[in-house]
Amino acid sequence: MSVRTVARKDLADAGRSKALWAVTLAVVLFTAGITGLAGVSTDQPVGEVFGLAFQVVVFALPVVALFLAKGALTGERESGSLRVLLSLPPSRGDILVGKLIGRTALMLVATLVGGVATGLVVVALLGGGLELLVPFMTFLGLMGMAFVAVGLGISAVSPTDGRATASAVTVYIVLVAMWDLIEAGIGAGAVELGLLEAGSRPAWLQLLGLLPPNQAAGAAYEAATAGGRALAADPFASVWLPTLVLLAWLVVPVAGGYLRFRKADIG
Amino acid sequence: MTNLAIETRGLTKRFGDVTAIDGLDLAVEAGEIFGFLGPNGAGKSTTINVLLDFVSPTTGTASMLGLDVQADRKELHRRIGVVPENYGLYERLSGRRHVELAIEFKGATDDPGALLDRVGLSPEEANRPAGEYSTGMGQRLSLAMALVGSPDLLILDEPTGGLDPNGARELRAIIEAENERGATVFFSSHVLEQVEAVADRVGIMDGGQLTAVDTIERLRRDSAGGARVTLSVDHEPERALGDLPNVRDIEVTDGTVRATCLEPEAKLAFIDRVQAVTTATDVRVEESSLEEMFASYTTEAQADEQAEPAATAGVEA
Repeated sequence: MSVRTVARKDLADAGRSKALWAVTLAVVLFTAGITGLAGVSTDQPVGEVFGLAFQVVVFALPVVALFLAKGALTGERESGSLRVLLSLPPSRGDILVGKLIGRTALMLVATLVGGVATGLVVVALLGGGLELLVPFMTFLGLMGMAFVAVGLGISAVSPTDGRATASAVTVYIVLVAMWDLIEAGIGAGAVELGLLEAGSRPAWLQLLGLLPPNQAAGAAYEAATAGGRALAADPFASVWLPTLVLLAWLVVPVAGGYLRFRKADIG
Repeated sequence: MTNLAIETRGLTKRFGDVTAIDGLDLAVEAGEIFGFLGPNGAGKSTTINVLLDFVSPTTGTASMLGLDVQADRKELHRRIGVVPENYGLYERLSGRRHVELAIEFKGATDDPGALLDRVGLSPEEANRPAGEYSTGMGQRLSLAMALVGSPDLLILDEPTGGLDPNGARELRAIIEAENERGATVFFSSHVLEQVEAVADRVGIMDGGQLTAVDTIERLRRDSAGGARVTLSVDHEPERALGDLPNVRDIEVTDGTVRATCLEPEAKLAFIDRVQAVTTATDVRVEESSLEEMFASYTTEAQADEQAEPAATAGVEA
């Protein structure tokens, strides 16, 4: 009851802000625009076009999701409206979950609009390939939700909005911009220490590469579109392992954030 | 069941090295209007933050309406109404929507229009987004939210900030009406006149502790403030007036003799003594102000007392 009211309030409040429209526009531009651009600028088949677009979009969407979520609690903390909310019956847990639902809904609405726009662009430019739109939007949607959860976790542990912004930027750099480099560095370090043979890529290193939501979403999309390998024997070629990683991202950051937020002094 | 609306026992809150509340034992009786006074940094806000479960106490316990402020907070928060200090409103939501939210959260059945009208917000104002509100309007809206669900206990943290004199008067009327209905009212303020006008009892907080709890009249009487008695004399007394019980700071300047008298009888004794050595032509008595009374219960005054034991605490402020 409290959770639902918090979520509805958050949707109403955030929905009246220009942020939602900016987010939707950004998502539409990134999904439809980039797919369209890939479609007209290459002569590749539709499957390749989608794959290319996906690789680009996974860099852009996390920015949108993190921006949407990182101020969900710190903003209210700084304005003092959190004090009003906490004076009323909802608990900190109710507020956190309500915010998660509200912001996730905003992100999904934006993603859905982006998906429809992408579909139109693809049909108009390439005259087919709509069946690829389902995995395309599913895994982009899951990844968006995962980054909303990360952003909210950051918001829950940050005392100020400035700190939340700094953390969100750091998380983006580590998980999205530099993860390949980090993975390569760890691999090279393992070789150096004699833990690993040069050129080999054991399961733990592959799992490490799969950890960020954007990487997991990419792997899941690739596996799903490569054809019927949802239950592949090799987990790294499967849909289920990266999907599991994505689902974990929906839960872990928020749970971690709650542990801190539960005890935080709201002065 | 206890008949205390608010009770803390040995409540202590430390932020790092700073002790904001130091073993506080506070008891507010059900049905009273309690004024919570103290200078900035005295621990008032932290106490209210603990009561509202915004911060966790380091040690000690706190309960309201017989319910633990942490363990029973959900039930408790359905039964209290709060105007928190430094509260914020949702800029994009209307005033009316704010009240509707509070009604929904509390599972109450109030009519939002009636509550908004009661605090003096017109229907047009209520439909405007709260981001356009003045401080005073925000304060009124915040009060309307606090009144949702006819709470058993109202906690108002500095509720007069931003209100004009008219608004402050209306607030007083609402506080009295709520108390009449049966609600306990606990409000903090640094505006003494506001507190004096409505509070049955006041507590004065200083250095994280309660330094006094009583009615304003009793506190005023017990405070070292006393009354300043000034006598005009036709000639200065030739000999010292000597010590009198409860008379302090005797001062002789050209044509006048002054002293601070702590008890009514002391005033008469002082006048008699002066009359014995010279002739008084006029008398003027100034009762100590609320501010002086207040100061006598807080740190500055204590420091004065230590520096100059004979001086009457706070009177020379």
